[in-house]
Amino acid sequence: MLPELTGIPAHLPHRYPFLLVDRVIEREPGVRAVAEKLVTNGEPYLQGHFEGRPLVPGVLLLEMLAQAGGFLEAESLHGAAIFLAGVQDARFKAPALPGDRLRLEVQAEGAFAGLMKIRGTVSCEGRELCTASLLVKRL
Amino acid sequence: MSDLKLRVKEMIIERLKLEGMTPDQIDDDAPLFGEGLGLDSIDALELVLGIEQVFGVKIEDEAAGLKAFRSVQSLTDFIAEPTKA
Repeated sequence: MLPELTGIPAHLPHRYPFLLVDRVIEREPGVRAVAEKLVTNGEPYLQGHFEGRPLVPGVLLLEMLAQAGGFLEAESLHGAAIFLAGVQDARFKAPALPGDRLRLEVQAEGAFAGLMKIRGTVSCEGRELCTASLLVKRL
Repeated sequence: MSDLKLRVKEMIIERLKLEGMTPDQIDDDAPLFGEGLGLDSIDALELVLGIEQVFGVKIEDEAAGLKAFRSVQSLTDFIAEPTKA
């Protein structure tokens, strides 16, 4: 499958500087999605996190997983209300740094009454940086 | 307490991390949501996943969930005979 490059802004409502998915490389709605984010020194949040020692805030790794999780939905989320309802068992194992190509892997664990549970992993070159379960609510 | 009902209560306590609670503190007939145990919609999803994992029973939709989640008793009945409930 070709990387999905142009479809991202049509699918997610997020925009610069908060669109944190660069491309989607695998997508099976309702089951699994894999996306990528390339971290550069130009990221606005790296100016102050931290001065002289840039590293991606852990909460943004969770946001990346949540945005990648948007691709588990079959239909476009553009204009749709989707919210983060919970974060469970988040682990930050190693920092994400400028130059890293982050692999965002999400798997649907189940859904009930508009609420979906996602298991996500952020990794770089085969190393796990962050794992977490997320709950997202679609209204 | 029937064996299955005890396992259902243990699953609820474990899955929802109701620390310090014991199975005999959960009333068989008290509502799980709102009053009673006071669970919310996030707990409902956890229970759906727990029931599937522990008992191999799927709660297909909200209507089935509403019936099953009325109380521990109704949940136990649902797990014993998913087609009947």
